[in-house]
Amino acid sequence: MKHFLSGFNAVFLKDLIAELRAKQVLPSMLVLGLLIMWILRLASSTSSIDLAVTGPAALWISILFSGLLAQERSFSVEKENGCLEALLLAPVDAGTVYLAKVAVNLVMLCVFEIVIVPAAILMFRLEVSDWPVLVAVLMLGNLAISGVGTLFSALVCGAGARGAVLSVVVLAVLMPVMVPAVFALMVVFGAVPAALVGTGALAFVGSLGSALGYMVAFDAVFIAACWLLFGIAVRD
Amino acid sequence: MVLDGVDLRLEAGWSVCVCGVNGAGKSTLLKLVAGLLRPDAGSMRLCGSDIGSGGDAARAGLGAVLHEPMVYADLTVLENLRFFAGLYAAGRAESRIDELIDRLQLAPYRFDRAAVLSRGLLQRLAIARALVHEPAVLVADEPSTGLDAEASGILLSILEGFTAAGGAVLMATHDVEFGIRCCRKAAVLDGRRICFEKDVCDIDAAAFTRDYLAYARESR
Repeated sequence: MKHFLSGFNAVFLKDLIAELRAKQVLPSMLVLGLLIMWILRLASSTSSIDLAVTGPAALWISILFSGLLAQERSFSVEKENGCLEALLLAPVDAGTVYLAKVAVNLVMLCVFEIVIVPAAILMFRLEVSDWPVLVAVLMLGNLAISGVGTLFSALVCGAGARGAVLSVVVLAVLMPVMVPAVFALMVVFGAVPAALVGTGALAFVGSLGSALGYMVAFDAVFIAACWLLFGIAVRD
Repeated sequence: MVLDGVDLRLEAGWSVCVCGVNGAGKSTLLKLVAGLLRPDAGSMRLCGSDIGSGGDAARAGLGAVLHEPMVYADLTVLENLRFFAGLYAAGRAESRIDELIDRLQLAPYRFDRAAVLSRGLLQRLAIARALVHEPAVLVADEPSTGLDAEASGILLSILEGFTAAGGAVLMATHDVEFGIRCCRKAAVLDGRRICFEKDVCDIDAAAFTRDYLAYARESR
């Protein structure tokens, strides 16, 4: 327990200090996120689809792709100067390092969303029906993105085109949680057309409650699996 | 297979220098001892605990200076040492950090990012990093690389102090003279095995260095 707490704190603070000093990730995340939303807003203006339907999708696309930037960086710093070996030498369980990295990525996403969510609300003229549920949906989505992305960033950090590999793999793995995530945001923004419930791609979600349930289940299963697999990913 | 049948024992207060030509397996041996590589067969034990699977206690007892400095470029000298002290839950971390910064003459660079340090200063930081948690065993791969004569002298005195306090050092080096000056035992790794192992006090240092250099030339 002593090594868990000290290891978690050390890795968490180190990554935050390194990011605050380098200022590499957050500015890139913000620029990319705002650009994605702006382009999708422009595209939406020419279509007859309700902005409250395209807004949640645009918001998740923006969070997903910007989140990948943070995750890619979280392990590329460990490859420089052989730092990953130093982490492996320390008496800290790989799972502890994983949890600290997930927490850092979560903080980055939350800071990013402080800017990007109001921007989405303004751009897509969204109305939030329930703020606590909005925060809960975003946090569950953030957990999924950080949890899966952190494991795969460790797996691909030695690959040549790691950014491209990471995008393809992480987006594919995250698809099952993105469907309920988009649905939940549509509900929060009061935009779920009655015709959509129980039909099409959103058919299996059903209601806000079941969407949140799917997201909780996804987070629990994938974070536990990633936590268990992380040691193998970094050592082998 | 890189190594086969290597049997090496380190007692508290001992220092062993392993020499060998490029590709002899020195770095592999050190990475095995540090627990970074797993052997196909055999084991490495620290105070009875297997290093590979021995958990926190075994890993906490090891410090390593390997080819790369293993420090974070965006953190300062002080932040790097605080990070590694925290990672090992090291006791009396601040006083230990101050002591190492003073001994390795890193005080003027305390608040400099590792990214701006020269090769020699990075190596000094790597040595401080490896010792910040007061390990029982120091594994050092070419620790004098990039160090000037003064810094090599500092390293020598640090290693002497470390072994005098009961620590053990396993060092791999091409710099035979430095190795003999630093260590109590010298070993030569060749053809996957340790082909020579002797107390330094039983060796004529000048003759050993001459013979080793001749052997290294022949092996090329």
